[in-house]
Formats: sequence, C-alpha cells, structure tokens
Amino acid sequence: MSTRVGGRRLTPYLLVGPGVAWLGVFFLVPLWNLFVMSLSTKRSRYDFDPAFRWDWSNYGDVFGTYGTQLGRSFLFAGVATLACLVIGYPMAYWVAVHGGRFRAALIGLVIVPFFTSFLLRTISWTVLLADDGVIVRASRASGVLALLRAFGWINGDRLLDTPVAVVGGLTYNFLPFMVLPLYVSLEKIDIRLLDACGDLYASGWSAFRRVVLPLSLPGVFAGSLLTFIPATGDFVNAYFLGGTSSRMIGNVVQDRFLVQLDQPGAAAISFLLMLVITAAVLVYARVLGTEEMTS
Amino acid sequence: MTGSWGRRLVGCAAIGGFVLLFAPIAVIVVFSFNDPVGRYNLVWQRFTLDNWLHPFERDELTSAVLFSLRIAAGASVVAGVLGTLVALALVRHRFRGGSLVDLLLVLPLTTPEIVMGSSLALLFLDLGVERGPLTILLAHSMFCLSFVALTVKARLRGLDWTLEDAAMDLGASPWRTFRTVTFPMVVPGVVAAMLLSFSLSMDDVIITFFVSGEGDSTFPKYVYGSFQRELAPQVHVLSTAMLVGSLGLLALSVVWQRRRSTVRPGRA
Amino acid sequence: MSLQTSRRRFLGGLAAVAAGGVFAPSLLTACGNDDVGGRRLRVATWPIYIDVEPEGEATLDLFERATGIRVDWNEDINDNLEYFAKIQPTLSAGKAIRSDIIMPTFWMVPRLADLGWLEPLPLDAIPNAKNLLPGLQRPTWDPEGRWSLPWQTGTTGIAYNRKATGGKEIRSIDDLFHPDLAGKVGFLTEMRDTLGLLMLADGKNPQTASVADAERAIERLRKAKADGQIRKFTGNDYQDELAKGSFAACVAWSGDVAQLALENPDLAYVVPEEGGMKWADAMVIPKGTTDLDAVAKFMDFVYDPTNAARITAAVQYISPVQGVREALRAAGGDGAALADSTALFPDAATEKRLYTFRSLSEDEESRLSEAFSKLTGS
Repeated sequence: MSTRVGGRRLTPYLLVGPGVAWLGVFFLVPLWNLFVMSLSTKRSRYDFDPAFRWDWSNYGDVFGTYGTQLGRSFLFAGVATLACLVIGYPMAYWVAVHGGRFRAALIGLVIVPFFTSFLLRTISWTVLLADDGVIVRASRASGVLALLRAFGWINGDRLLDTPVAVVGGLTYNFLPFMVLPLYVSLEKIDIRLLDACGDLYASGWSAFRRVVLPLSLPGVFAGSLLTFIPATGDFVNAYFLGGTSSRMIGNVVQDRFLVQLDQPGAAAISFLLMLVITAAVLVYARVLGTEEMTS
Repeated sequence: MTGSWGRRLVGCAAIGGFVLLFAPIAVIVVFSFNDPVGRYNLVWQRFTLDNWLHPFERDELTSAVLFSLRIAAGASVVAGVLGTLVALALVRHRFRGGSLVDLLLVLPLTTPEIVMGSSLALLFLDLGVERGPLTILLAHSMFCLSFVALTVKARLRGLDWTLEDAAMDLGASPWRTFRTVTFPMVVPGVVAAMLLSFSLSMDDVIITFFVSGEGDSTFPKYVYGSFQRELAPQVHVLSTAMLVGSLGLLALSVVWQRRRSTVRPGRA
Repeated sequence: MSLQTSRRRFLGGLAAVAAGGVFAPSLLTACGNDDVGGRRLRVATWPIYIDVEPEGEATLDLFERATGIRVDWNEDINDNLEYFAKIQPTLSAGKAIRSDIIMPTFWMVPRLADLGWLEPLPLDAIPNAKNLLPGLQRPTWDPEGRWSLPWQTGTTGIAYNRKATGGKEIRSIDDLFHPDLAGKVGFLTEMRDTLGLLMLADGKNPQTASVADAERAIERLRKAKADGQIRKFTGNDYQDELAKGSFAACVAWSGDVAQLALENPDLAYVVPEEGGMKWADAMVIPKGTTDLDAVAKFMDFVYDPTNAARITAAVQYISPVQGVREALRAAGGDGAALADSTALFPDAATEKRLYTFRSLSEDEESRLSEAFSKLTGS
C-alpha cells in the first residue's frame, strides 16, 4: 500500500538523523556506561568510582541469587499479559466491529485512564481491594478466595498484599497497551469480509477463527510486547499491592542501586533482564510467523 | 455457537473490561469528595466539597502539577517532532540502516526504567550537567521518542500514499499537495502519538527520580514521596480535574473529526 | 517528492525551534527562583517535623523576624538510603548540594563524616548547644560531637490497633509472633529498628550484640514470613495500614503514633517489655555550605528551650534540648498537658529499656544489609 521513495539519497538520513542522535546520546551512551559499570568492581561499599576490570562475576551471581525474583517477574508479567489478552480482545473487537460511529470515542475512552496518574490508579486499587471492601467480601462469599488459597496464591483472608493483587494491578495498568494495538489491527479488517463469511454459511466462531484471528495477529503481537516487557520491569505494583513474597526484579534492581549501593550488580541484572526479554521476544515472533510483525 | 449468542457474550465481556478500566478512576473521582480522617485519603468517611473549594491548598502539590505539565508539553513536542521525522524516513524511504534504526527504537522499550534513569544520572554527572528541569526534559523526550516513532510509523503504514501522486498528477504543486493531502493524513497519527507521549511524561516516576535535582518535584514524584506520610485529597481533586480536562479535549477532537469527515474530498 | 520531504523537514525544524522558544523561558524560570534577595537557609528534612501553625507565628517565621534569614524547609527525606543515593553523585564529585542543613538519622552521620561529606559544626557560634541533653552529648555515632546536633529524638516500639487486635493489648515483641495476629503484623524496612527489637526479644543488647545475633534475628523473621505471620515490610507508610486495621500491630515510631492517636483513639503505642530502640535525627552540614553563620544562627535558635518546646508540642517527638518540659509548662495551654506525657518525656523505668543500635563497620553493614534486604525484598 505504501509507496517507497527511492529518491534523494540523503533525505532519509537527514530525517532520521536528529532522532537517532537524540537516542544515541541519551540512551546508548548511558547504556554503554552502564555496561562498563556491570563489569567493574567496587573496592569498598562506598567506592563510587568502580574500577573496570572485565569482571563477569556480577553476571554469575544474578541467576543464582535472584533467580526467584527473575522467574517471578516473568511469571507475573506473563499471566498479566494473558489476562490482558483475554479481557482486552473482546473490548477491542467490540469497539472495532460493533462500535460504528462511536468507534473513535470509545477507543479514546481506553486512553482516558492514562490521563490520571499511574501511581494514583494503583493506590486506588488498595481502596478497591480493601480487606473489608466489596470485592473482597464478594470473593469470600463466592468461594473465590478459597479457590485462590487452594492454589497457594494467597494465604489468608485478603486480596491485598498478595501476589494475586500484584498480577491484578499489572493486568489493569497495562490493559490499554493491549487494547490499542489490537484495536488498530482489528479496525483495518474489512467488515465485508465478515459478511462474506456469513454468506458462505460460516458460523460466527468459525469466521472468527479463520478470518479475524489471523488478521489480528499483528495486533496481538504488538499488544503482548507492549504489555509484557514493561510489566517485567515494573516495581510500583509490587510496592503498593504486594506483600512479602511478591517482589519483582524491578524491586531488586532498585534495592541494589539504592540500598546496597551495588551499581555493578544492579547494572548486571538490568542487562541480563534486557537480554532475556529480547530473546523471549524473538522466540515469540518466530512462533507467530512472519517478519512483518516486527514493524 | 450462533452469531447473536456470541455477540452478546463479547459485548458483556467488553463492557466488563470497560468497567474494570474505570473502576479505579471512579475511586479517584469519588474520593476527591471525601473528608478523610487522618493523613491518608483511602477510607471513605463522608462527603464534602471542601477539597474542591481549596484545591490549591498544598503549594508543593500544585507546583508539582504545573511543573509536570510544562515538562510533558516540552517533551511531547520534542519527541513528536523527532519521532515523526524518523517515522517518515522509515516508512517512505528505503535506506541502509533502516532495520538498525528500527532496533534502536525498540531498545528503550525493553530497558527497565530504573536502568535508563540511573545510567542517565551517571551520564549527567560525568558531563558535569546539573540535574534540573532541563535534564528531566531531555530524559523524557528520549523515552517518548520511541513511542512516537513507532506509533506514527504504524499509522503511516496504513495510509494511502498514492493520493499524493494523484494530487500531483492533477496539477497540485508540491506545497499544495503537502498542505491538503499529506499533512491532514499524517497529523491525526502525530497528534495521537504526542498525546500518548504527553501522558507518558506526566506519569513517569522512576526516570524522573534519577534525573531530577533535589528540589524538582513532578506530580508522580510528589505522590510517591509524600505517600510515606500522607495522601492528601487535593491529589484526587487535581487528578480529577486533569481527567475532566482531557475528556473535554477528547470530546472536542471527536467533534472536530466529525466535521472534517463531512467535508467532501477534493474541496480543499 | 524531494521538495515535499524537505518541506516536511523544514516545518519540523521550525516546530522544534518554536517549541524551544516557547518552553525554554518557562522551564528556565522553573529552575531558579532562589536569588530573590535576602539571606536564605535551605534545610532538607523529614516530613511533618516542625510546627507550621499559627500562620505567621510558627518557629520559622519567628526565626526570620529575629535574624532576617528566610528558611527553605524542604521535606525531601523519606528514607535515609534513598536520600543518600540522591546526594551521593553530587557530594562524591566534590560539589555542594542545594541544602545547607540536612537531617539524616543518627547512623548516617559517621558514614557521611567518613566520606568527607560534612562540614564541622561552628560550635563557637552556637552557644545554645550547651542545652543538649547530657545523655546525647558525645554519642557513639559522633564521639567528638563535631558533626551533628540532634534535631528530634524518639523511640521505636510497637503500635497496635485495638480494634484489629480484638481488644487485646500488646505488651511485648513476642506478642507480634502470636498466631492470633497471623497476617496482620508489620515490620519496618529500617534495618536497625526491626533487628534491634528482635534482638531485644532474644535477650541481646543491640548496643553490644554481634553480627551473629543480628543474623539470628533475621532468621526468626524469615521463618515468620514463611509462615505468613508478616503482612508487609513498610517504611513510614505503616501509619496508613495501622489506621485502617490492615496491621493489627507493627513496629512503629513514637511521634507518628502520638499524632495518629489524637485522631484515632483505637491506636496505642508501647515500648515493649523486652525493650525498645532509641534513635535521633541529626542536623549536619553538608560539605560546600557557604553561609555557616546562618546555619549557626538557626541551630542556636532551635536549641533555645522556648523554641524547642514549640516544635516538640507540634511534632510530639522527644526533644534533645534541656528545659523543654519547663518551657511547655510555662507556656500553658495544650502544651502544658504534654509536659506530663511519658511518651515525650520517658520516665526512668522506660529509659532503662531503651537502647541504641551500635555502630557497624563497613563489612558488618554490608553483610547485614544484604541479608536484611533479601528478607524484606523477596
């Protein structure tokens, strides 16, 4: 659909130049700095100028010491992403296919929560999930709490300060990141395709499975990425909604940096996290198919 | 599964999703009318208009909000301009290094904020740059750039660029083509991306923490820090006000879209 | 086509310049409003740590009137280690931070002093320094008294919410481990406070205990955590959980709870039977501060018993200044009742049960801090 302009050789570079320079200076250079830091050793606890020494021991420690939090972060983020998909897909579908004239407004509504503070939204969940609040009481009465307890996901009679609350918070906070890309790809689907399916006597479910779902895969891919990746590094949800066994790798990095003053260690964890995420993303892309999705 | 049954299910699920999305928002709005006991506005006591009558009671909070707004505006303009240029290059031109640029754009999204923040703090220190509003602006523009570029790129890909050729073929000058065809096509995507980066900047805590000077307080930084001792109802009031403001903007833009779409094409 | 793209670029460039032009001035004004004329003293401190009423007649207003020096009271410190990380880049590079006086907790003082980040106190210019309580002179964290003057002191003990404990009164640290309170107990992320209390429960004196004793305390906590006894490790925000009843009981600081209990009579604070911790937040001068005279005047002012009494009446912590009790009685009104408060003026029996955490060497600090962080952070 898009025409490519072979044209002037210099133009694209000039267009791209400022942005790339900006990212180069404010993203790549500091990262390089940090990488060097991850291979350095501190002479003492208060050494603020660690010596660069190709010291890979910082990396070696990460999986051993923080394996739990690392694994937990991926688990939480993964569950949250799945939940976002389950909740977000119907939302995107409904607005795209049945939204009609109000599509733009409805999808705009999805962005509206962004205009309040992420912190405040998370804090508000402590109100909603309060021990004596409606949600908890309903969960208790309906046996949901007992079910969660049976799985070992909560221990006690509350939802707040548990892993469940953290995952719930992650799901909630990143839901728009899933809905929007899904909507974008679903919106592009020509309604007439669906009508054609109907004409060919395909059932609703079959039409969905064979036509809509594949066409929406780019959106699923983009949405999953935009949800999963920030979720793994998050620590705000764990901070406000979590208890004693809900800390994520983001909390660890924060602790390493601020409390233990272990910049090399924190740097190593961060780089490893980035590597694992990138690998996961590549695998996911391979599984989902074509390269076009990495747009 | 028949069509209408499925449709009803999807509809319910969708509505459920929207309810979920707005539940905490409802809490924020409702609690702006709360008269809390103690320092934390987290337990409903009783209704009061007091908070709304004195929304600016907490000087620090008010100046934090204003500061955040200014930074966000600056960052979204910078990111908007730079990101759009990059997106245009990637979509409209084929050049060596295109996929590298793609990779560069995605990298900030895979980097934990705490890494970006602390590495920037180190950088500023090494360069002798004093941390302050400028460094916050630079940092925010950086991470917004990726979002803008990717969003605009996705938008641009779906556009029909042959319209440009058509316009030129019909005798429109390049400038006219740009003004009447290209710009209107591109603008909605760019504006959407800038709005996105505005809210990203407003909301940022971690990076801001590392790149701000001692006294600089953005709205999220204020909330996070003050949470150790209180949660003032004015926080809810100002949040609700910002929410209403953005809803208003949204409504305006919907109206504007409607009006634009009733203008027949070709009549520029 | 090429013309178009260059037009776009041109517009883009224009926009960028325009944006810069529009926003730069307002951003710059955001930076420095400091030099408005007149002397200024910038203080970085903890929240809710000074009197602010009545408007115009609070301590800082009176100070300004007496000396002509305006005080910028910045409640920047929420956590010692967080604040340390904030000032570390600047101070380790040999530059001065924004504040003229900062108020870290006592154990930070030797750390800052050893790093060479402090200016010695201009004691000659602070005659009222002699009013410092004898018990606080030449403390373990500042043996020569060169670097610090305490701002406020307090105790760490246990706070509880009677409604949440089912009417039960908490008396000892061991009570926190009672199965009735499972899942409703909170501990502080402030290592010295939490571990100090646990060592006391174990019969060890935090002033002389060994690292092994501390590690045993950590082990006990770890077990309690695994059993689901502990709901959360918190910073200052335990107050919210306590008031709500999410915590039935938690480790807490005296002044906080005193302030909370005024509004919520279900809350109570107790120095446990086994003992409690004593702490102080100290005024120190970061290196690079130029107007030492202003600093001296301020410290002298707040060490005057009348002023100290006013501050104490507002914040409800234990004043390090002698003569505050008498000053409160003399002032009359609400303050006079506080003069008899045992929370603000611990009696001899309570004093005997209060301990300070001993200084830790860098190695010890590393070891304990790592182990403790692992506990609270996972």
